Amino acid sequence: MTMASARTGVAPASRTETELALEGLWRVVVLNDPVNLMSYVVLVFRRVFGFDEPTARRHMLEVHEQGRSVVWIGVREKAEAYVFTLQQWQLTARLEPDEKN
Amino acid sequence: MKRIEVKLSLPVVAPLLDLIKGTVDDLGGRLAVPQHLQDLDEELRSAWRNDLLGGQNDDCRRFLALFDREFFSSGTVSFDEDNAESVLRACAAIRLRLRERELKSLPDEAIESGGVDVTRLGEALTKAFMCYVFLATLQELIIQHLDSAILEG
Repeated sequence: MTMASARTGVAPASRTETELALEGLWRVVVLNDPVNLMSYVVLVFRRVFGFDEPTARRHMLEVHEQGRSVVWIGVREKAEAYVFTLQQWQLTARLEPDEKN
Repeated sequence: MKRIEVKLSLPVVAPLLDLIKGTVDDLGGRLAVPQHLQDLDEELRSAWRNDLLGGQNDDCRRFLALFDREFFSSGTVSFDEDNAESVLRACAAIRLRLRERELKSLPDEAIESGGVDVTRLGEALTKAFMCYVFLATLQELIIQHLDSAILEG
């Protein structure tokens, strides 16, 4: 193995691990609003996350009754994409660091 | 392609359209939901907001396109898998803005439980509330008949 190939083989992987370690996990949180229909929120959760009906309904009821629901946890880039999509659907959604990580 | 046609009452719906159009105009430069974007750096936040606004404006434009010459001659509007998502989102945006701007004097509990006594509302509030309910009815119709098309989309 040449020095060049060793560098290209090792450096990117260690950088990715470092970035993941620094960024940690992020939560996608949906907050309650008094406007959007329950059936609409269930549909949005199913459409965006591919949830089955009972899972989507459980998250919708959590939002409705407790004011918020954590609907997804994972790496920041994907969490940002989910938050953006939920906001496109006019839900109040935000990104939060996952405190357990 | 699955398609539903809904015949609306022209004398009931047509008078609501000026308020709906005015609300869409009001939304032109603002997001219907003030979003929590403080975790993003300034450049990303600005691009993010502009993309949301562009999508919202496009949804509202597609929604208003329902009320064309066909609607004013027959009262009919059509939904299919091509416009259903935009119409759903536009209805949500307009309802959110109506709630914020026109219906803020009504308590959340009354609106959520359907406990609003329309006979006690003034003319302007009655009209805004009718718009709010009309848009929810369109959403329910689409969800009821086109949910599979949306979920497969």
